[in-house]
Amino acid sequence: MNALIMTASVRLPALCGLGLSFRVDGFRLLFAAVTTYMWVMSSLFTREYLAHYGHKGRYWFFLWLTYLATMGVFLSDDLYTAFVFFEVMSLASYVCVIHDEAPATMRAGGVYLAVAVIGGMVSLMGLFLLWHMTGTLSLEGLRGACGSLLHGTAQQRRWLYIAGGCVLFGFGAKAGMFPLHVWLPMAHPVAPAPASALLSGIITKSGIFGLLVLAADVFPGDGAWGLLIVLLGTVTMLLGGVLAMFSVDIKRTLACSSMSQLGMIITGIGMQDLLAEHNALAVRGTVLHMVNHASFKLTLFLAAGVIVMNLHKLELNQIRGYGRKKPLLKLVFLSGALGIGGIPLFSGYVSKTLLHESIVEYVELLRQGHGWTLGVLSAGQAAILFRGIEWLFLLTGGMTVAYMTKLFVCVFVEKNADPAVQAQYDRPGRYCSPLTAAVLALSAMVMPLFGLTPHATLDRLADLAQGFLHGHSPAHPVAYFSFANLKGGLTSVAIGAALYLLFIRPALTVRQTGGGRAYADRWPKKLDLITLLYEPLTFRLLPNALGWLCKGLEIISDGALVCLFSRVIPAALGLVCRVLDFLTDSVVLLLRHTTHRQLPHPQTVPEGYHMAYRAGLALNAAAGFLNRTMRRDRPITKDYVLALAYRQTVSQRARRMIGASAAFSLLMLGLGLAAVTVYLLWAV
Amino acid sequence: MTGMLMLLPLILGVTGGLAVGLIPWKSRRPMQLFAAVVLAAQLAFTLWICLTPQQNLTLPLGAVTQGLEILLRADAVGKLFSLLFSFVWLLVGVAGFEYMEHEGGERRFFGLYLVVGGVLSAACYAGNFFSYYILFEMMTLTSMPLVLHSLTHEAVMAALKYLFYSLGGAFLTLFGFFLFVSQGEDLTFLPGGSLSAALTGEQLTAVLLMILGFSAKAGMFPLQGWLPTAHPVAPAPASAVLSGVITKAGVLGVLRTVYFVVGPDKLRGTWVQTVWIALTLITIFMGSMLAYKEDVLKKRMAYSTVSQVSYVLFGLSLLHPLAFTGAILHVVFHSLVKNTLFLSAGAIVAGTGRTRVSQLSGVGRVMPVTMWCVLLVSVTLIGIPPTSAFVSKWYLATGSLASGIGVVRWLGPVILLASALLTAGYLLPLVIRAFLPEKGAKNLPEGDHEPGWRMLLPLITMTALSVLLGIWAGPLMDAVNALTGLLF
Repeated sequence: MNALIMTASVRLPALCGLGLSFRVDGFRLLFAAVTTYMWVMSSLFTREYLAHYGHKGRYWFFLWLTYLATMGVFLSDDLYTAFVFFEVMSLASYVCVIHDEAPATMRAGGVYLAVAVIGGMVSLMGLFLLWHMTGTLSLEGLRGACGSLLHGTAQQRRWLYIAGGCVLFGFGAKAGMFPLHVWLPMAHPVAPAPASALLSGIITKSGIFGLLVLAADVFPGDGAWGLLIVLLGTVTMLLGGVLAMFSVDIKRTLACSSMSQLGMIITGIGMQDLLAEHNALAVRGTVLHMVNHASFKLTLFLAAGVIVMNLHKLELNQIRGYGRKKPLLKLVFLSGALGIGGIPLFSGYVSKTLLHESIVEYVELLRQGHGWTLGVLSAGQAAILFRGIEWLFLLTGGMTVAYMTKLFVCVFVEKNADPAVQAQYDRPGRYCSPLTAAVLALSAMVMPLFGLTPHATLDRLADLAQGFLHGHSPAHPVAYFSFANLKGGLTSVAIGAALYLLFIRPALTVRQTGGGRAYADRWPKKLDLITLLYEPLTFRLLPNALGWLCKGLEIISDGALVCLFSRVIPAALGLVCRVLDFLTDSVVLLLRHTTHRQLPHPQTVPEGYHMAYRAGLALNAAAGFLNRTMRRDRPITKDYVLALAYRQTVSQRARRMIGASAAFSLLMLGLGLAAVTVYLLWAV
Repeated sequence: MTGMLMLLPLILGVTGGLAVGLIPWKSRRPMQLFAAVVLAAQLAFTLWICLTPQQNLTLPLGAVTQGLEILLRADAVGKLFSLLFSFVWLLVGVAGFEYMEHEGGERRFFGLYLVVGGVLSAACYAGNFFSYYILFEMMTLTSMPLVLHSLTHEAVMAALKYLFYSLGGAFLTLFGFFLFVSQGEDLTFLPGGSLSAALTGEQLTAVLLMILGFSAKAGMFPLQGWLPTAHPVAPAPASAVLSGVITKAGVLGVLRTVYFVVGPDKLRGTWVQTVWIALTLITIFMGSMLAYKEDVLKKRMAYSTVSQVSYVLFGLSLLHPLAFTGAILHVVFHSLVKNTLFLSAGAIVAGTGRTRVSQLSGVGRVMPVTMWCVLLVSVTLIGIPPTSAFVSKWYLATGSLASGIGVVRWLGPVILLASALLTAGYLLPLVIRAFLPEKGAKNLPEGDHEPGWRMLLPLITMTALSVLLGIWAGPLMDAVNALTGLLF
């Protein structure tokens, strides 16, 4: 089959700074096909779904922009190209997510965008580092360069892990990996159902694409990296499963289920590195679960979309019983549920079995003393660890069965609490267009088709894709329906049945007053990473702390500088200059205020001015005479006694000042002479 | 005599400016037409100069006194900057014709606008430090009245602050100039530096002061204070060119000083480089953070300029070819983006009367084309591929890693990315709210406030360029690579 697939690559060096490069090979062709299939199917449904919404043009534009970008990611031949398209995809898909513009949608969209932007930036840091260390970002180049770095010095290894961690951050966020999964359960329920199908089915896979590149090309066969990814994957799949069981909203359940399934895929990616040259099962399981999960989520979200389109409700108690009399919808949903639940004869079983077997294989390897053990664990302890991971994997499989049962029973088996509503639900009539029905039926056919003929279909797809991941073909075809393999699947089913009967029914439903049970939202509202940690940290704590710091810097630089230059320095210099300017004057001023005080203008005749007094009186008498005779109309009002007294004061003062100045000059002369004398004496 | 070509934009600008300002135009249309023709002619002559096959066109204009020659020379840097400046000057001018109709005082404004444009072109061709200094000061003095334009109290105070910072900065550079001249250097601009001997401690201090002095115009900490004061009060076209072009004249001064007078090799590894890098990184982060915290639209843009121009200075300070390439590219891209943002901000304020970011809900619905431009240039400024600023930031960050300077090596890219994140934080919510106002929000703008074609055409042109240059930058990339090759 591989021979049939042409491998071709294109490089466009002039574009986007570093140049873009694309490649077509089995894996890329497979995912290009899956992407196109998903887009066509969901678009066929979108026409009917969006019939009553506005802004259709906007939706279609950004939907197909997202399509192009997603194709770009899957067809890229280097991480730079992948990143360029990844960012376009993130932004374009945002517009599809917030389509209905409701407040809750905008908040969820905000979280989606924030995670995408932050993730993008951190990934970019990783790309900077990788590019700096290896000088290339092409996948082939990276594989060679990173392989030698991994065997290089401790420092090289450390920087490679830092770079890988940064790249993982962004792509992992898109893949719903813990602890960056927060956007996933928020964004999916609020997006239009066809967009949710794409978001969940294929856009998250572009994040997985990055993880695959990291695993296969940056850290090929590196145990430490593998273990990190396995642990992150395990937490993701468990948390997703638990959240899905608690959810009382059909689309939220499906979203959390996506997270859980993506966790399984991530675990499989980690196993590829742990298993190194024995990675056949892990590689094939990962790829097949990616393909299968896309088809499950397409089917399930479209089915949920039909319900939402008719009822505009998502809450389980409200949509309860809606599908009882709708055989097509029931079958379609059942097919999706059985597929995702990993029930034998449906496609999910095959991929889950492969993933499960890859963990089992590693446990076997550890028992035989091979395999990577973290350096601190003995082979036996590591085997116990992975035995635990294996059981957690089966438990997650069980949870899948349990929450899908919960959904199926609720919508298609139970009756609504309100008989009137149930009657309305049961009323025969068209609930979707024939086109939608055909789309639903077609998408649901994939699960049994693949599940029944795993060797003819799924195995070939795996053959096609494994080259990209440097996977090795298994020594012999896997006997999917052997007892050993069925055991794992059936264990999960058993766990699922137990979880449903012993946990979901009794603990997550409450008895209603009118008999019967209602679904209860038992997940504590506060227990949410966003409200607990991320929002306070990124929108309050950090911006406020750093904001004040920067404000302080600004005040120092701007305010203080301006103050320094416009006030302090001029004032200080002014003071100095004024002092210099007034140095001489100030001596005079000082003297005038102390020893040489000026006299006030006399208002009454001071004592002792005899001359002035007599002459003044005579002049006053003369003036009085004149006033009475010649100057009747213009009398002289001047008091000559005062005027003459003033004259006398001024002249006295002038005499004293001249005397004082002479004294001052003499003083200065004396001082100067003294100085000259001292100098002469010293000099001679 | 092809050297005389370099004087033509200056002569055109000054005579054209005087004509616009002094002729008592009866109506505004002929005046606008005349100004547009002058701007277009300036661009045409600049293009002519750039396309002249003769390398390093030189024009000595005599000496003021012994040793202080005035010299024009069109080298690769000068050609690139002058082409960018006169192109943007034309576009902003055309947009300004429409904008200034509400603002009044058009003759005064465009008269000075043409003069500043001419002086700027000539400054790009300055062939030695003295010529650049003279033209730089002329530019400061002629551009100050653009800030002053509205003659309100705030405008006068802001213009004085602008003058104060610019002159203060210029005096710092003058110190270095005196020092070097007194030591017998002629400070001609030569690729790789024209100083004869290794730098002494005193000379290093002088170099730092020269860098700081020109950086005042480029808004680098601690002399960034004039930007957030001057931009909000200036008319939109003035703040656009102040931010998008005139800050770049400061960058050009730094570039000339470091790469054409001192020489990157003499500076590499000195304490001056360390201080310089530290200041640019502080500015990058501080500007973005303050923009994130700012609610007044034009002030937010001004802080954004503080941060973004320091990206360029950071690239220059690393003294590494990759970072240098990134810096020059960022000069071009930031110029396109910031002119678009300030013109759009002006259009928003003029159209809807809303000056604060928190009041912009729903603006996208009444001025869709403008806001689409804002959206696209915002994405560019954040540096999201495939837009242009992503490419420049790629070069800056990888240049930083490759420079191998201690902590800066990785701290540089981290701060660039943190700042990019903040850029997303201060631009994206604005755009999102403009297009998708909250349900039930009150006081949404109504009617059609889209500016006319004279404003939209420049906006769309610059937006398209800022996006498309990221996808394909052929000739620009060649020019920048040639320039880098010349210096390293």
